[in-house]
Amino acid sequence: MGLVKRKAAYVEYPQAVPLKYAIDADSCIFLQKGKCGACKKLCPTDAIDFDQKETTGTIDVGAVVLSPGFTPFDPSRFDNYGYSKMPNVITSMEFERILSASGPTMGHIVRQSKDKREPKRIAFFQCIGSRDINKCDNAHCSSVCCMYAIKEAVIAKEHAGDGLDCSIFFMDMRTHGKDFERYYDTARDKHGINFVRSRVHTINPLENDDLEIRYVTEAGEAKTEVYDMIVLSVGFETSPQVIDLAHRLNIDLTAGNFCKTDTFKPVSTSREGVYVCGAFQGPKDIPQSVVDASAAAVEAGLSLSKARNTLTRVKETVPETNVNGERPRVGVFVCRCGINIAGVVDVPAVAEYAKTLPYVDYVADNLYACSQDTQDTMTDIIKEKNLNRVVVAACTPKTHEPLFQETLINAGLNKYLFEMANIRNHNSWVHKNNPDLATQKAKDLVRMAVSKVALSQSLQEAELTVNQAAMVLGGGISGMAAAKSLAGQGYETHIVEKAPVLGGQALSIYKTAKDEDVQKELAGLVAEINGNELITIHLNSELKGVEGFVGNFKSQIVSGGNESVLEHGVCVIATGGYPYQPDEYNFGKDPRIITSLDLDRKLIDQDASLKKLNSAVLIQCVGSREPDRPYCSRVCCTHSIDNALTLKKMNPDMSVYILYRDIRTYGEKELLYKEARKAGVIFIRYSTDNKPEVKLTDGRIVVRVTDHVLQLPVDIPADLVSLATAIIPNRDDTLAGFFKVPLNEDGFFVERHAKLGPSEFATDGVFLCGLAHYPKPIDESIAQGNAAASRAVTLLARKNIFTSGTVAETRPLDCSSCAVCISVCPYSAPSFTEKGPFAGKAEINPVLCKGCGLCVASCRSGAIRLKGFDNDQIFAQIFSFNEAS
Amino acid sequence: MSGYTDKIREISQRLLKDCSVEMIIGFRKGTQPMMNEPFVVRSAEDVDQLIWDSNCGINLTNYLTNRTEKIGIIAKGCDSRNIVTHILENKIKRDQLVIIGVPCRGMIDRRRIAMLAEGEVLAVTETDDAIVVKTGTGENEYKKSDVLQQNCKVCVHRNPVIHDELVAEPVEEQQDIDRYADVRDIEARKPEEKWAFFDELLAPCIRCYACKNACPLCYCPTCFVDEAKPQWLGKSQDPMDIRTFHFLRAYHCAGRCTDCGACERACPVGINMRLLTKKLEKDCLDQYGWEAGMSLDSRPALDIYRPDDPEAFIK
Amino acid sequence: MSEWEPKIVSFLCNWCSYGAADLAGVSRMEYPPHIRVVRIPCTGRMSPKFALAALREGADAVWVSG
Repeated sequence: MGLVKRKAAYVEYPQAVPLKYAIDADSCIFLQKGKCGACKKLCPTDAIDFDQKETTGTIDVGAVVLSPGFTPFDPSRFDNYGYSKMPNVITSMEFERILSASGPTMGHIVRQSKDKREPKRIAFFQCIGSRDINKCDNAHCSSVCCMYAIKEAVIAKEHAGDGLDCSIFFMDMRTHGKDFERYYDTARDKHGINFVRSRVHTINPLENDDLEIRYVTEAGEAKTEVYDMIVLSVGFETSPQVIDLAHRLNIDLTAGNFCKTDTFKPVSTSREGVYVCGAFQGPKDIPQSVVDASAAAVEAGLSLSKARNTLTRVKETVPETNVNGERPRVGVFVCRCGINIAGVVDVPAVAEYAKTLPYVDYVADNLYACSQDTQDTMTDIIKEKNLNRVVVAACTPKTHEPLFQETLINAGLNKYLFEMANIRNHNSWVHKNNPDLATQKAKDLVRMAVSKVALSQSLQEAELTVNQAAMVLGGGISGMAAAKSLAGQGYETHIVEKAPVLGGQALSIYKTAKDEDVQKELAGLVAEINGNELITIHLNSELKGVEGFVGNFKSQIVSGGNESVLEHGVCVIATGGYPYQPDEYNFGKDPRIITSLDLDRKLIDQDASLKKLNSAVLIQCVGSREPDRPYCSRVCCTHSIDNALTLKKMNPDMSVYILYRDIRTYGEKELLYKEARKAGVIFIRYSTDNKPEVKLTDGRIVVRVTDHVLQLPVDIPADLVSLATAIIPNRDDTLAGFFKVPLNEDGFFVERHAKLGPSEFATDGVFLCGLAHYPKPIDESIAQGNAAASRAVTLLARKNIFTSGTVAETRPLDCSSCAVCISVCPYSAPSFTEKGPFAGKAEINPVLCKGCGLCVASCRSGAIRLKGFDNDQIFAQIFSFNEAS
Repeated sequence: MSGYTDKIREISQRLLKDCSVEMIIGFRKGTQPMMNEPFVVRSAEDVDQLIWDSNCGINLTNYLTNRTEKIGIIAKGCDSRNIVTHILENKIKRDQLVIIGVPCRGMIDRRRIAMLAEGEVLAVTETDDAIVVKTGTGENEYKKSDVLQQNCKVCVHRNPVIHDELVAEPVEEQQDIDRYADVRDIEARKPEEKWAFFDELLAPCIRCYACKNACPLCYCPTCFVDEAKPQWLGKSQDPMDIRTFHFLRAYHCAGRCTDCGACERACPVGINMRLLTKKLEKDCLDQYGWEAGMSLDSRPALDIYRPDDPEAFIK
Repeated sequence: MSEWEPKIVSFLCNWCSYGAADLAGVSRMEYPPHIRVVRIPCTGRMSPKFALAALREGADAVWVSG
């Protein structure tokens, strides 16, 4: 980012895995001038090779996925903001680094000017390099900047406290993502962030590096204010290199140089076999990028599914030695991690100390325990010394445990006979100025690990067959997209749909923002689904009950009175939503006051009366962004603008008004907004405390709204009022109960991870797409349908899955049948044994158990143990923490 | 009070005769004054031994654990709440029980009376609001409200929360009671004062386990105090082991204790270990709005997992 | 070393706090070397018995985080 200088030998960023150094050729004295080479001389493992050259290779592939990303807009070309001249004008990317705990100022906010003062007033300017064809050519909206600016302002305020004043200068506030509107409300109401609707023209530098701005308020008043720091919320651009790549690959780009895709094929480029995901397809945030990535993977996989498993090799398995009942023989490997550990901790002393510990038969210290040669040596030593327990004192088990467990497996040991002592992340890296105490701590941690591992036991992982069929709940656009992808990958798929037809809400939509005919495309998709032999369609059907778990679900389906049981390995929930039926704006009192989907219906039916309208008023946010439904329905701005344009095209003399709060045509949908303004659609903004009124007098409709420029009420005679109503999820608590998946306050399902797991649930084997997740347009619904299928395929393709060995187990003799375990378990793993000598006592299904230990801790009778984290093991750690030598 | 006894006998007679229950669990007079004892009546002839007065403090729920018969049980407010907990925790089934509810007016503190009386207590009789104590030196009368058990003084659930029969009209619940004045008093102390207080409180403990044996919540096949692997605590009189025992016992009662006073009453050395359980009772009320055993519809506060938990930290 | 050095036993949830302690290392944040971490799979695993045991063993404080 250029905020601080980077050395020639560097790590890309501190969280990088693997954490390996590279040489920056541009600043390396040896590579530039041929002198120095100090690093090569000093490197103990001889890892530096100055002679490495760029090589060109050829790889045969069946499909290509493009995810080259975006480049942040460079604002230095805007002389009016003085980014390159004024040190306290920074970009949002730079501010992100300043806020980061691992950033140049450790998350402490200071000015970039020489005074390094803590700012008291920060302004954020939105749409820098976005929605701007005056000073640059980026007509598109970058989609994410409103939200990240709010986030940065909130974090800044949380860090600096009440003394910091943050103002965001914006045109439209675009918080159209899931839970974003709430975040916006909280930022404004709770954190006290100022939102100013104004585009600031110029920043003037003052003598002390403060910044003076002038802007015009909504009321038309010119204001001058001084800020300590100004953050430019820079937008997305496709880099010239990527544009060049696109030309060489012969794929089409959009007007804004993003990859061109169709609504119904959202991750397919114009060239067959080449797919796209992420910000190259259009400006988007993390969840949507992750959705696209999964979608692109499944689409690329379609053409490759026949070749699946043709290039895989079967790994040789080493038979496991039975060590049960043997005296523990612990091997301890203390890692130096180069100088990462050994630079602070006295590693030989720790190794010497380890030799004195009970049951320790072998101790070594290694330069890098994780290197391939050390792994091989470790395997040999385990066999040679007949070790049956291993401790590696190195970094964190969160990144390296699987690697060392693999080594144990290769040496014929059960992988659970292993423990790590975290003497790097939890020790040498955080106590570098205290080597004595760090060495002492390392000894303690090693002793604790040894005492735990001595009590560890070989654990078995239950093997589970995955039923190779999928059930998709909901036959709307996203459900069909999921089914099509699943069947395309070769899996038997069942669509369960409540309605008598497939199609869902798409049946009511006229056309897409890219001018595609929805009914035509939908009919094509339905025909494909109908014609696919692997897909069974259950219409007029509902789910009555679900038994089982990942890989082995049994669902009870009622279809027109007939009950049947469907066995499947995975489930995709695509239960969709429905349009809000308003009780405001005199809806239902006059046939000319309709919802936007009613207008679509008229357009689909080619209603001739539309052409004769003199005036149409489209009202936005009907039922959305209201106290009852504090979320944005995401699609309505684009949809209304598209309909307004259609009306204008039908009859250019028609007066078409859109009454809105913020126009949220994110991404390249912004171009449609521009086109609508050009076509003469009149946009009038209203606020919630002064909403439009739809009056019916003497058979005439008059809409009264306060014009935001004139600040005066205007009366618009209307022949048609179209209300852009909210999208409401088909909230289904029973279904949520069947699969143990959560719903949020608005009735949408809660995904595994808001950013990184948008199309799946925390519950294994259950996936999510479409409006049941959050309101979204057709292209995003299809992409998420593909994505849910993609995630499901990763499970189906494994055929067999292994559960974890660290699961809870009951001792029925100690069980008092109080049912606390059954009640507290989030995963429904415990239940009462039904038959046999232990009937009425609790037992735990290892497949459902996630090993959290909640039941163990809550069992008053001490009847449950958690394998791998057993009571005696944790006690051993506690008992040994204080035996200082 | 004699009206209660008559009604209890009448109901018990009926239940045993028409075979709705196989036994009635109630009280009969003990051999010592103020020491009524639990009594299991299996035949109608013995029904006239059942009695009720202000010495029926023992929590009869203890006698229900893992029974398989049909049982009639006499239950005060606190007993009834423990019965609810017993049902929730699968210690007995609701349909096995005919609960004979007793609206309770509070039980008397025999230790306090013994302390107030001069010489050995020979007999104790009572009227509605007075206790008459006969000793070798004469007779003394005390206001009942002055000699109530500590837990009864602050009780706000005197009427049974669950019952099939009721021996009298519900009594008026005590109003404007400060239930946790003693807990707040300790909470407000400095750490070293608390340390000294608990040191002194638990010092007389002889680890006889009467408190846990009297408690209807203690029913595990193997108690943690007896476990050897892992050994949660030592078996000695070491103050550390004594404290560990009392603290862990209290934690096992968290969200389940009804402050029936069984532990304190059973203690041969007079330790008020209720202070520990009451602290947890107060926390459950303050933090979760939870009182144990009030309804069959909900499990104890610390026994449930709910994804829609209103606490913000869980999200 | 004459100053009192407390010993703090920390029970950290594998999924959040243990990872956060890792990240503190990655970010080279410095803190006093007095904690001894016991990794638990979830703070749900935490039992009051562990806290008492640590105090009995001479810990000056017990820190549960998750």
